[in-house]
Amino acid sequence: MTIKFFKIAVMAMLLAFTTSCSDDDNNDDMNPPAENTKGSMYIKFDHVWGPAQDDFALNTDLTHPASGEELRFTKLRYYISNIELQNANGDTWKEEESYHIVDAENMSSGEVELELSDLPGGSYTGISYMIGVDSLRNVSGAQEGALDPAENMFWSWNTGYIFIKAEGESNMTSNGSFTYHLGGFSGPFKANQEKYHDFQGATLEISPADNPAVHVTVNAARFWHGGLSTEQVPMMHMPGEMAQTLATNFGGGFQFDHIHN
Amino acid sequence: MRFTLATLMVALLISCQDDKQEPPEAEFSAYEVPAHFPDPVYNFDGNPITEKGFELGRKLFYDKRLSRGQQVSCGSCHAQVHAFADHALPLSIGVDGKEGRRNSPGLYNLAWTEAFMWDGGINHIEVMPIAPITDSVEMDIPLSDLVEYLQTETEYPEAFNAAFGSTEITSARLLKALTQFQGSIVSDGSRYDKYLQGQYTMTVEQERGLALFEANCAGCHAGVLQTDFSYRNNGLDAYFTDLGRGRITQNPDDDGKFRVPSLRNVALTNPYMHDGRFFTLEQVLDHYSEGIVESPGLDPVLANGIPLTEDEKEDIIEFLYTLSDFELLGDLRFSEPLE
Repeated sequence: MTIKFFKIAVMAMLLAFTTSCSDDDNNDDMNPPAENTKGSMYIKFDHVWGPAQDDFALNTDLTHPASGEELRFTKLRYYISNIELQNANGDTWKEEESYHIVDAENMSSGEVELELSDLPGGSYTGISYMIGVDSLRNVSGAQEGALDPAENMFWSWNTGYIFIKAEGESNMTSNGSFTYHLGGFSGPFKANQEKYHDFQGATLEISPADNPAVHVTVNAARFWHGGLSTEQVPMMHMPGEMAQTLATNFGGGFQFDHIHN
Repeated sequence: MRFTLATLMVALLISCQDDKQEPPEAEFSAYEVPAHFPDPVYNFDGNPITEKGFELGRKLFYDKRLSRGQQVSCGSCHAQVHAFADHALPLSIGVDGKEGRRNSPGLYNLAWTEAFMWDGGINHIEVMPIAPITDSVEMDIPLSDLVEYLQTETEYPEAFNAAFGSTEITSARLLKALTQFQGSIVSDGSRYDKYLQGQYTMTVEQERGLALFEANCAGCHAGVLQTDFSYRNNGLDAYFTDLGRGRITQNPDDDGKFRVPSLRNVALTNPYMHDGRFFTLEQVLDHYSEGIVESPGLDPVLANGIPLTEDEKEDIIEFLYTLSDFELLGDLRFSEPLE
């Protein structure tokens, strides 16, 4: 009797010993997560037309306020990358893998929104981003997501991303269309550009409960700032000085408008 | 007692089993860095070569479905029998019989190449295939269309799953698979390579040719790879229809400059120059000796040409023949798959 009991006891101990060897990764009940102060926000790009901020839409007749040209956009897409937010203490939060394509096809009442998550809670006083793709990622080979060359924002013959694509019709060009593929990240003429918007006293409040939004207006008429027209520049398909000019003209039309907390 | 022992052994065997996966398979080695080569510029850390990835790349390389109307594959213009250059054509023929723009170069030792194409416009081996795939006179298929086609209408998802652990095909995976294959093609089996390693004795003519080559040609066709990767105007034309490097840098001083090609396998990759205008090595040497054409950007080392006697030209050509790597031509690992 005792020996049998002993055998069972040993086997039970062995069983307990051996089955308890496995690693238990699911310890959530044991270690509750730290209190979560992180939150999300939106950047909303409001596309407008001209300094009067008239409505902007694709496939819609528009008259340029300065040149008087009759234009229609069939396509407007651009990269927004390297997004950072600055808080009241001077600290900076950087979005990881920060690459987005803003496509006017996705406009809702002129707005395209980007959602950013996992920001540490607190008050933020400014935002910076790049219109385009930084030079490092232009030389990093085949990439995924927004940087996938199958997004058709990539030059196959002169490696690099097309930072801004604007295509459409014009009454003043010989073939009735305008086509701007703006890129170039090296040499004297870079078409990528960094923007910074101070919230001018307003603050962006991040917390788990809120979903605030920063509104940036984007003036699509601004390609032709400073007297340019599609008649003078009907197309642009390579890096260089004019690509840089068109890109920085357009980038100059990005302005901080307001915050919704 | 035996029952207890058995239970004990079984318990120990099944106990403490990790959830970890099997240890990784032994590394597949189609790619080897020759000891006498400089360091490659591309490293496969971000794209480790596996047998499945390499075989996927090989299958893609020889697959005509990567072109519109399934007319041409990479292998159509990059043929192993010609050291992965084209079949003695100045300009390759793409879809619908369309003629290409520049001579198709041999694909080997690509991991040592920093910038691709005759004008160096492509800065990374992984994105190199996008150009021929999407070019209207080559394979003429948009990248997004190709990815969707392979995903929905072919047997490829399984091969991608074997290579990358997912049946989802992305352009990056396609391009990395092609890179695993193409990047593995190393040409280091020529008699010249064996000579460098003390395993081959040159003939008298080859020795003379080597000496002449080093004195007259190796300034540009330098080192083990026979190129310094610079862009030069070598006196082909006075006026340029093809701006070459100038189109990429937008600097007029670069107009008419093209990349110095490696001369490895040169006897196998005729015709020669960016537009394939010279069909024989004799014509090439005649050009350098008597045929240099003046232009503002002519490379200074060619200001007076490279005067050579007929005997000297013959000796140089004898040396150039030692650059042919016949092992590469017959290496079945890189050949068109049988199925």
